[in-house]
Amino acid sequence: MGFFNSLFSGKRDRSSDVARDRLLTVLVHDRVKLTPDMLEQLKAELSAVIAKYVPSVEPGEIEVSLMRGESSDHLKADIPLRRTT
Amino acid sequence: MSRVITITSGKGGVGKTTTTANLGTALAMQGLRVAVVDADIGLRNLDVVMGLENRIVYDLVDVVEGRCRLRQALIKDKHFPDLCLLPAAQTRDKDAVSPDDMIALANQLRAEFDYVLFDSPAGIEAGFRNAIAGADEVVIVTTPEVSAVRDADRIIGLVEAFEKGHPRLILNRLKPRMVSRGEMMSVEDVLQILAIDLVGVVPDDETIVTATNRGEVAVLDRTSLAGRAFSDIARRLKGEQVPFMVLEEQQGVIDRLFGMFGRRPRGSER
Repeated sequence: MGFFNSLFSGKRDRSSDVARDRLLTVLVHDRVKLTPDMLEQLKAELSAVIAKYVPSVEPGEIEVSLMRGESSDHLKADIPLRRTT
Repeated sequence: MSRVITITSGKGGVGKTTTTANLGTALAMQGLRVAVVDADIGLRNLDVVMGLENRIVYDLVDVVEGRCRLRQALIKDKHFPDLCLLPAAQTRDKDAVSPDDMIALANQLRAEFDYVLFDSPAGIEAGFRNAIAGADEVVIVTTPEVSAVRDADRIIGLVEAFEKGHPRLILNRLKPRMVSRGEMMSVEDVLQILAIDLVGVVPDDETIVTATNRGEVAVLDRTSLAGRAFSDIARRLKGEQVPFMVLEEQQGVIDRLFGMFGRRPRGSER
């Protein structure tokens, strides 16, 4: 981390922001009671189901995460598809 | 009407006992009859924080098991005769009492005092459940650290599950200089994460250590900033509108520059 970066731009480098972001993630997991293990399993099963209908899915690239929103939390899945051109 | 308030936190070492001692003393200074109860059975500490450790004859478990009357176990404070401590047992464990015992105890104390403060043990198990059993309301103490805030979040959920209403928060040991440098979560950060009402912020203050060393409480020290913060919280608990102390500095580029070199313009630290 550059000296001037941290001085003029690097708000995201502040450890208080890191603390807040980590807490938000951890608390969503605590509240939903979904362990990282279960999340991995969910991801594997989800890719299997999607692959049945969408063959161009990249099973290894599916991202599933819990997000904290303003009024509710979200389970978010990002499912990239291979381009077949 | 009397009020029974439990001070709890989930995580240990965030200042529950110090908070209980200071709020109890502050309420007594404001002319109220107050009982502070050490509900941390087996790890008695409220007595040493208040400097009353040499006066203990009976304890909470003796009262619950009928070996003495409540009045015999209550210890009068050194400064305020209307402030009393009910000490925890040191040689028993939390299983020596039940939530029903604690409800009965709280109701007995209600008859004699305006405010009854229960100092809860850390954790989320039997000791914590005993400590909140008799409470009308719960105050959660936390510090601006990830572990303490995470535990506070868990405790908030449990307090609501036990139908003790919405707990309120005391944010303890805030370091305004670190907050302004972006190196500690701010009051707003913590409140946003926990979505809870704030009852007060207590700055990190060496006078807490020196007062506790002597078995005194910081609210008795007029020069103590933390003591003042606790007095303000006591008044807010009574329902008074007390403005929040300004602890955080407005940070400009100059401040940030000085911060980076580990110095600040004179007078900028509160």
